[in-house]
This record gives sequence, structure tokens and C-alpha cells, in this order.
Amino acid sequence: MKPNPDERVPVVPKHHALVRFSHWANVPLLAALVASGLAIYWAAPVFLHPRDPVTGSADYVKDASLWIAGALGDPGSDPANWIYDHLSLGTRQLAVALRWHWVFAYLFMVNGTLYALGLAAGGGWRALLPRPSDVGDALAMIRFYLGVIPMAILRRPWPHPPVRGKYNALQRSAYFSMPILGTLVVLSGWAMHKPVQLGWLERLFGSYDNARVIHFLCMIGLAGFVVPHVVLVIADGWDTFRSMVVGWSKRVREDRHGRA
Amino acid sequence: MDEPERPSGAEPEPAGASEILAPTPEDLAPVAEEAPPAPAPAPKPKRPGVLAERPEEVELVPRGRLAAQSRREFLLFGLGTVATASALWWLLPDRAKARLLPGPWRDRLDTLAMRVGLSRERREATLNRALTFDDDVAEALYSRDRAVRTYTRAEVTPLRNNYNGQTPTPEYLASWKLRLLGLASGRVEEIALTDLVRRHRLREQVTRLVCVEGWSAIAWWGGLRFADLLRRFPPAPGARWAALRSSVNLDGAGRPDPYYVSIDLDTARHPQTLLATHFGGRPLGVDHGAPLRLLVPMKLGLKNIKAITEIEYTSYEPPDYWNERGYSRYDGL
Repeated sequence: MKPNPDERVPVVPKHHALVRFSHWANVPLLAALVASGLAIYWAAPVFLHPRDPVTGSADYVKDASLWIAGALGDPGSDPANWIYDHLSLGTRQLAVALRWHWVFAYLFMVNGTLYALGLAAGGGWRALLPRPSDVGDALAMIRFYLGVIPMAILRRPWPHPPVRGKYNALQRSAYFSMPILGTLVVLSGWAMHKPVQLGWLERLFGSYDNARVIHFLCMIGLAGFVVPHVVLVIADGWDTFRSMVVGWSKRVREDRHGRA
Repeated sequence: MDEPERPSGAEPEPAGASEILAPTPEDLAPVAEEAPPAPAPAPKPKRPGVLAERPEEVELVPRGRLAAQSRREFLLFGLGTVATASALWWLLPDRAKARLLPGPWRDRLDTLAMRVGLSRERREATLNRALTFDDDVAEALYSRDRAVRTYTRAEVTPLRNNYNGQTPTPEYLASWKLRLLGLASGRVEEIALTDLVRRHRLREQVTRLVCVEGWSAIAWWGGLRFADLLRRFPPAPGARWAALRSSVNLDGAGRPDPYYVSIDLDTARHPQTLLATHFGGRPLGVDHGAPLRLLVPMKLGLKNIKAITEIEYTSYEPPDYWNERGYSRYDGL
């Protein structure tokens, strides 16, 4: 039997169209920026240690590459360049990587500006502000996440901690720090890109080399956010994913806690 | 989803109000204990703007309209995903493509991309466009009055010899002269190093040299101002660029590989743009471009040409070695 199209369904409005657009645009933008950024990093690694006499490597990315290649037993590629070969545009691609980086960096700034304007105009920023109760609430959320799987196995009830507002404390701290990291990554990028004309920005980061370190730490922070973010969306289910595409949620009564 | 389905008397754009939801038993306690008193109803309720975040309040929406909206949004999402994935694939360097997707499927995909106009030539043109846009931004940011940050001699760091290819052997030094072309006088000048060093006041500066690769070094330089040479031998009217060339550069196998850079005269006239003769308090060694190199600390290292043998002033933008190899032409820092 076909459901009646006029029947009214209860839904909750979720994310504004601008938020949804800038959210999804960030996926290819960040991927392209990381891929080209790592290829640029290859030309002059930032995080170095004294040369290891066994591996001949002085670069932590090469160490990690050797480790990953060893763990995967991947014989096809150069083990010391595994990360550059698989997660970046590749070694010896500096000219291409720089051009990629400018294309996507400008688009990333446009996207970030759109997001910020949307948040400011729509008042959505209020839902992201930290609150005094966040530390305790975040700990409760971590406890909840740690217990979900064991309690499911034990078939014991494991209620979600109460959520006041659009996001729980963990989400709020993550969604609050992402725009800050995004701003920092852009500013440190400009400090490296134009250290003379934007000398004040270079000084703000201390030195040219400090700006590079901060730029890469921000990248690690942004990329590090993606892993738990995706895991939690998958754990939370289809409705949470859909709400970021369509803008509304059907979780009305039984469980309104979006937890991506 | 733009038209609010709420009653017309929708409350004004909420501050804390958006967060107070229709109470459910589990929420009631914490809300009651912490939430501020509900804000007093605003005098005149205004319609929420297009951008306004809507409160998470339950709305009753006809199933048909919800399905239509859902279809539209997922269609857009799917189209966006396909378009973005195609664009990223198209922009990938050939080597990365070969690594990601070996075999006939890559050829098929590339053929398909060519059919819809996503050719290799267009890819290069698009990426070059990003470069020229970034160059335009750099040129707009440039100010001749802005000084490059200087350091103390105690802050000097080791500077590597980054000669592209092999470092030239010092035989060329014996017969070295600087040729000047494109002058207002119409003559070709040949100047010896002793002339340059004796006739011009030598300046010292400790500045950072930034390489396109990402590393940098603070070094102590000495030399004459490019601006002083320009004053002594004025370029022909209408000249806007200087082409600086070195005929002694070698490639990796030791064969001649002349190096050439373009410098806009605005940058050349900057007081911190030197024709350097000294490095670390001593005359330049061959590894750092003896006997004369350009020092433009407001440009990337690759513009700081070593062992200059010729300067020509031009009204058109002269070719630039690394620009022809996919790098920026302006390279402003």
C-alpha cells in the first residue's frame, strides 16, 4: 500500500543549507590540501631527527612510512616513501603540488568564509560556544562511548547522557575547535606564503619556521578529527548522515541526540 | 525546506530559546535546573531570515513534500560528489593516476574525460591559472616601502648550496664581466667586478632566504644596491623588467644549462635588493654564486640567481627558468 503523501510526518529541522554545503565541500578540499601539502612537505620535511644509521632516515614521515610498509608487507612501492606515494600527490611533484595547494587553499578560504558568514547571520555559532558544564559533560560522554560496546554485549541498559541543546559537550568542543584550527591553518599558511609582505603575521607566529610547525600541527589536528567523526556518524546511523544531506531528522521522540 | 511550516506567530530569532526543546522526561530535570528563565516574548516577532538557524522543534511536514525535498537534496549531493571526484581525478598528476588505478581502466577513464573536454592541456591551463591568480595576489600585496625583516649576525643559520645541477668550476671567474643590455644609452656595457665594488657603496644585510621547497636560512650578505646600478646605467624608456642570466650554470650531468630569471623593476629598485658580492663577511664563493649574485629577500630563493653574467632590461616580461617548469613567475614573498 502506498503511503498517503498528505500524511504529516514529524521531523526536526537540523542543519542549515549553508552549513551542509560547507561541511561537504570540506571533504574534497581537505583531502586535496592534505595530499598536495604532504607532497610539498616531502621537498623539505619539518619534523626531523638525527639520521638513523640503520634506516638512513632523518624524517619522521619516512619512519612512519617504513613502519606502515613493513606492517602491510607491500613490496610494490618504495617503503621509505609509502606515505608520500599513497597519501600525497607523490614524491618529486613539488610544482604540481604547489599549484594544487593554491587552488584548494583559495577555495578552502572561500568555503570557510561562507561557513562563518552563515554561522554569524543565522546565530548558529551560539550552539558551538563552550559552557562551564562542558568538562563534566564531556567526561560523561567519553564514559558513555567507552561503555557502549561492552554494555551491548552484556545486554545491560546504557542510557545516553542527557544533552541540552543541539550538540553534546564533546561535539561542541570538537565543532568549536574545528573553525579555530581552520583559521589557524589558513593564517599560518599565509605567514609562510608571504612572510615579507605579511611580516606581522610571521611575527605573530614567532618565526617562519614556527609558522610551518603550526601549519602542520593544525593539519594533524584537522585530519585527526575526521577519524572519530566518521566512526561516530557510522555508529549513530543513517538518520545522522541523512540530516547532513537533507537538513532534517526523523529522530523526534525516542532519541533526539545526534552524536556525530 | 525554506518556507517555515511553523505557525505564523513564530517566535523571534532565539538566543537560548532554540535549545529548549519540547521537554521529554529525560531532559526535563537538567533543563529545569540549569536553563535560564525563558526570555520574555519580544515586542514584535520578526520573521526568521533565510540564513537563520531554525530551532529544533518538531514540525509536521506532509510525507510527499519531505520525500520531494529529500530527493532533491540527495540528487544535488550525488551530482556534487560525481563532479568533485571527476575534477580531482582530472587534476591529478599522471604518475599519481598510474599508481591509484593501473591498467586499462585508467585509459578508459582518461578517454572519457577527454571526450567531455577534461584534457591534459586544460588541466595544465587550469593549474597555471591558479598560479597566476596567486601571483596577482602577491603583486597586489607588494609594497616597495615595506622593509624585509632583518636579523642580527648571531642569528645566522647555515645556508646550503642549492645550485640546480652541478656547481660550476671556478674557471669562468678569470674572464668574468657583467654585460648590461637594454640601456637608455643604447650601448652594451661590460663591467668588471673591481669597477662594481669600487664605484658603488657596499651595503650589508642579514636577511632570510626562503626556498620554494620550504626550508629557509638567515645569512649575512654584502653588495651594492641594484637601484644604484639602475641609476648609473638607466634602462631604456618603457623598460619594466630585468632579465638576469647566468651562462655558467650546469645541469646535473655537468653540461651547460644557462639559468635565467625575470625580476620586475619595482622589486629591483627596492633598497634591500642587492647585487651581492659578499657572503658571511667574505667575497662570495663559487658555491654561493661568485662573483655576483642577486639577493632579493622579498622573492623566493630561486629568483636569487647566482653568478650573474648578463642583465637585460626589457619592456616585455622575459622568460624565467622555473616558470617554464611549472612554478610561479612572480615568486613574491
